[in-house]
Amino acid sequence: MVRNTGIAVLCRAVFVCFVFSLLTVFSIDVNPASAQSPAGRDVSQGESLNGAVPGNTTGGVSDSEFWRQVRSGAAGGLVPLVQSQGDEWSRWRGPLQTYGGWILAVVVGIILIYFAIRGRMRIEGGRTGMVIPRFSLTQRVAHWVIAILFVILGLSGLAIMFGRFVLIPVFGKDGFAAIASLSLQAHNLFGPLFVPAVIALFITFLRGNGFKMHDLKWIMKGGGFFGVHASSEKYNFGEKSWFWWAILTGIALSVTGLIMVLPGLGFERGTMQIANVIHTAAAILFMAVGIGHMYVGTIGIEGALEGMTRGTVDVNWAKEHHDMWYEQHADEATPDVAAAEAQAADGKV
Amino acid sequence: MNDANQSGHAIPWFTDFAEGPLWYVAATVFVFGVLWRIVGLLALGRGEDKSVPKQSGMAGGIKAILLHSVPHGGFFTHTAFHVIAGYMFHIGLFALLFFAAPHVDFLRERVLGFGWTPLPDWAFIVAAQISFAGLILLWVRRVADPVIRRLKDAHDYIGSGLTFLVMLTGCFALQESRPVLAGIHMFTVDIWLIYFPFSRLMHAFTFLFSRYYTGAFYGRRGVTP
Repeated sequence: MVRNTGIAVLCRAVFVCFVFSLLTVFSIDVNPASAQSPAGRDVSQGESLNGAVPGNTTGGVSDSEFWRQVRSGAAGGLVPLVQSQGDEWSRWRGPLQTYGGWILAVVVGIILIYFAIRGRMRIEGGRTGMVIPRFSLTQRVAHWVIAILFVILGLSGLAIMFGRFVLIPVFGKDGFAAIASLSLQAHNLFGPLFVPAVIALFITFLRGNGFKMHDLKWIMKGGGFFGVHASSEKYNFGEKSWFWWAILTGIALSVTGLIMVLPGLGFERGTMQIANVIHTAAAILFMAVGIGHMYVGTIGIEGALEGMTRGTVDVNWAKEHHDMWYEQHADEATPDVAAAEAQAADGKV
Repeated sequence: MNDANQSGHAIPWFTDFAEGPLWYVAATVFVFGVLWRIVGLLALGRGEDKSVPKQSGMAGGIKAILLHSVPHGGFFTHTAFHVIAGYMFHIGLFALLFFAAPHVDFLRERVLGFGWTPLPDWAFIVAAQISFAGLILLWVRRVADPVIRRLKDAHDYIGSGLTFLVMLTGCFALQESRPVLAGIHMFTVDIWLIYFPFSRLMHAFTFLFSRYYTGAFYGRRGVTP
């Protein structure tokens, strides 16, 4: 093991010497003018003109020119040995981790505080036993596919991003290495499935999600979260905003994710670094609102989840949360739950 | 117990157990269980069919096997979803199971003694994605469709859930960086193999028998099932 390490160090030293020799030689060949003064005189004779270094200490090339070529890879067509943009990427990534983590923590905190104060929002009039078809089978399949991907990609993404700070204290470095490895593989494998899932979500939920003037009234009444009834059509302002938020961040995640997962398509390192920063920011924004959506759709509001599992909602739930939509579909209310579910499955919603 | 593999990481006892004793037990249960089920099924035989044959039962059986593999008889709109998702899942799973490089190596070294050319990495990943997409689609539909939800019971969810876990842990171990990840995958495979003969996963072997039986029964009466 010791012997292997020694050989590796020796090889690395030889390689570095070789590369720098090449750079020095090629930098002179590629840009011979740099070795001479504008007047065509050799600056190695001790005359310093226009940035050229006297004394030929760097082979007649100034330090700045030397490092410029190291960074650009211009010397002899070699790849860049120092990529300055990587420093900028690091400068962005740190704050993104810090502020991103705080954003997600604050969202979870607000939800917990709201739940502690307000509790579950019950159906005030109680359940009637009468239901109305609300979501088609196609919509529900599109929703749950992206929900499953959200959980897998979200957890694996969080482990990749925050695991070093959160998981190492719990599982140790070796344990975290295993979790990081599985998270990376899961993220890369399931990531591409997210692209068609976003497209399917857009197509199946587009109708009814355009903003209208009466959405302002819903906003003014606090969306009904503070005890005042807020009228709404099939989708309220919050749901519409979440839809467009998910689509826009979903597009950003899809495009930047594909850039990173398909390096074979010829994207440059700089492009992938920008993609990484955008991907991280979009993921945090997507998850922050998504966590709120999950809360509202499950434990936050009684009766909401059924719409997405069975395709039907209770009549009183519809009246209390989507009264304008209920007025349009009141004649479809039925005590025959199975028939209403079948109607929803057929897309008659 | 803590040997080291080539990459220098400690191999935990868990991986040794999953790839050693538990694997032998699981493989034995799988082989004998499947044989026991198939032989038992065939030994049941069938009662004498006293109807006057209008057509060949065998032709009806073969026709049923082929017809039930594609949408037919004007049912495409109703069956397109599960036919497409079903093929995505099963073809992807088949490709993963028998043509992923680590699986080919495993079969050569531990089971068959010979191997074959595996899929390239990119094709293996695409097969995994197609298979996962198919399984998730079928799963979601199973929960969301009111008719299918009423037809399914716990065994359907356990079987598909275990299959998902096997695939997911296989995905986790893709980088082959940590022996413990391979051990977790192997452990789920062992559980899956033990559960297989006693579950609806047996349809991988029995679907041809059942389709043939139904096709022959109706074919003898001149009906195309």
